[in-house]
Amino acid sequence: MSDLAALGEIVWPSSLALAWLAGEIGHRWLGLPRISSYGVVGFLLASAQGGFLPDPRDGPAAWLADVAFGLILFELGYRINLNWLRTNPWLAVTSLVEAGGSFVAVFFVAQRFSVAPVPALLLAALAMSTSPAAVVRVTNELHSSGQVTERTLHLSAFNCVLAVIAFKIVVGYGLLVSDGGILRALWSSLAVLAVSAGLGAAFGVAVPGLLRMLGGGERNATLAFAAAVIVATALSHALQFSPLLATLAFGIVARHRRVVLSPAQRNFGALGDLLTLLLFVFVAATIDWRHAVEGAGLALAVIAVRVVVKTSATTLFARASGLSWRKGVLTGLALTPLSVFAILLLEQSRYLGLDLLDELKAIMGMVLLLEVIAPIITQRALIRAGEATGREED
Amino acid sequence: MPLEPFKASGSLTLGVELELQLVNPTDFDLSAAASDMLHLLARAPFPGDVKPEITESMIEVATGVHREYGALLAQLRVIRDALVAAGDRINVAVCGGGTHPFQRWFRQRIHSAQRFRELSSLYGYLAKQFTVFGQHVHVGCESADEALFLLHALNRYVPHFIALSASSPYSQGVDTLFDSARLNSVFAFPLSGRAPFLLDWKEFEENYFARMEASGVVKSMKDFYWDIRPKPEFGTIELRVCDTPLTVERAAALAGYLQALCRHLLSRAEPPPVEEDYFVYNYNRFQACRFGLEGILVHPRTHESSTLREDILATLRRIQPHAATLGSEEALVEIHRVAAHAGNDAGDLRRRHAEAGSVEGVVDAAVRRFRSIERKSS
Repeated sequence: MSDLAALGEIVWPSSLALAWLAGEIGHRWLGLPRISSYGVVGFLLASAQGGFLPDPRDGPAAWLADVAFGLILFELGYRINLNWLRTNPWLAVTSLVEAGGSFVAVFFVAQRFSVAPVPALLLAALAMSTSPAAVVRVTNELHSSGQVTERTLHLSAFNCVLAVIAFKIVVGYGLLVSDGGILRALWSSLAVLAVSAGLGAAFGVAVPGLLRMLGGGERNATLAFAAAVIVATALSHALQFSPLLATLAFGIVARHRRVVLSPAQRNFGALGDLLTLLLFVFVAATIDWRHAVEGAGLALAVIAVRVVVKTSATTLFARASGLSWRKGVLTGLALTPLSVFAILLLEQSRYLGLDLLDELKAIMGMVLLLEVIAPIITQRALIRAGEATGREED
Repeated sequence: MPLEPFKASGSLTLGVELELQLVNPTDFDLSAAASDMLHLLARAPFPGDVKPEITESMIEVATGVHREYGALLAQLRVIRDALVAAGDRINVAVCGGGTHPFQRWFRQRIHSAQRFRELSSLYGYLAKQFTVFGQHVHVGCESADEALFLLHALNRYVPHFIALSASSPYSQGVDTLFDSARLNSVFAFPLSGRAPFLLDWKEFEENYFARMEASGVVKSMKDFYWDIRPKPEFGTIELRVCDTPLTVERAAALAGYLQALCRHLLSRAEPPPVEEDYFVYNYNRFQACRFGLEGILVHPRTHESSTLREDILATLRRIQPHAATLGSEEALVEIHRVAAHAGNDAGDLRRRHAEAGSVEGVVDAAVRRFRSIERKSS
């Protein structure tokens, strides 16, 4: 028995090391985004595929993955300029149309595949989002800067907020129809949304305020924010709120309170890199290839519709919002990633007693495909837009 | 390519070029947004001229030709408003300042135009380090010889413009202790500094330019990075030592000061320039870069020392009548304010750094100053 326990202790560290190696090799030799390779390794090593990684969903890896994603969401929030929506209302229109359009289109596709109404609505809500994990990592890896980069980041943040809202409302609706009672339904949807955002906003006011009181420059800001993100994630978990919304709101509010992160602190340094590695391995390891194959038809249809809707929206409003058609198309394509956000949102809803992952097998195929392919699409779009400096992290 | 003939232009007409920074309003780092900005600006008629610069995070604007300071200032303000409005639409902030306080030069992306690629391959890291931002002022000349006379007669006043415009105290994240760190970057280029002392255009053309060209060192006047250089195709001399100020108002005032000074020099009220004037040139220039208005100026003829501040105030008194004739008294009022008590933009940026406690705060302040949504420095 003790041999097995010892084995259990080394599977995660060795998986991470393998994933890192694959990430470097894929990046150096094939120019792939590192996170794509992390996903491949995580998927292949998972027990469902006959690998040695146990189902990660109940271990400490799940908690660490939440923290990793919290840090990424905070960073994304910190790069969002809400004033931009005011100075360029067409950006707001683009966001609403691409997210809303994805919802509607994916819902109809799911109906065509005879998915029951509530799972179809949940799938539609998830399809609205663009996973910030992939977008933030790829832009940082490329050091990209320009309109496609900026808009991809902003639209990703906005559609994630919209997706969480839609998702929680559908969950509330689901509870209502499955006779969870109106109070529980309301609490699980609207109240959770409001409290989560409020919690994040409170952190966003308190932490910069504390830093200002302490004084002493930018150096310790990174660590302070990292620690606060971990606390916010743990707190919203314990209270069964939405850590996604809380950390994103934290970032956005903190940014508008103006304590500036210096550029060297992107990704939260090596800590962030390590947690990202874990996050992408974790997400891929939740996927069972049998489910992925079972839902492949629907998955492909959803992916196709989603890309078409998002790209059409960003292209349609490109000129009105001050962008060339070409960059409009590239922005839409760069919005393809989905996986990490979808999996974590589903994971964090398990306490409701709805095991959505099992109900939504189609999502497995989608997550698997997009976890590997979508970062490559985002990467190519940014390179084609001429926004990558192509420099390695210094 | 032989030197173009000098195209005469209206005496004392003015034109201003400003190299501006494109900044990400979230982290305040330089933003490679020139192409996006130019794309957007190309859709509507621009109230001036706008073009890319060597790296993707710079943009250059130019006014038309003006006789009067007032019209020049008005056009600069319209240009600024157009830039700010375009920037707002694509989430890019625009600001002045001779350097970006904390950009890393190796991160800059070279603009894809052919000429910039060539410069980059010739100068290597110098080209990327050349991510500095200057104001160029053109003064129209009726003849080529008048241009060379003015170019050299101005030699002793060059430090005035350095000290008054200085707005680059920070570079690569630290206070350089220079008021204008930007000029140190310019100095690294082999063809920078002063122009050779030649007062006759024919001689300049045949004995200097033609030989330089034959040697293969230069192809056109563009390859010289002199502090002041003649621009034959415009019929102007171009003063290139100024940092881009934080506001267009300061930029216009510097042009107005130069115009009045040139009128004074053309009235031949001062002894004509001689080669020996340049003995103290580099020293005075260094003083202006390092200490700004507190720098010590050594007079090339009398060898007397005074601070730049005193020398500027004395010059203002001498050229006052010319400003009255040209209608640029307001420009001189602004220059007087800067020299007498307000100080240059470098001092302003250092105060902002003390307040904000970070170099990002410095850029934030520069962005606000450029938009003119904040109090004027006092």
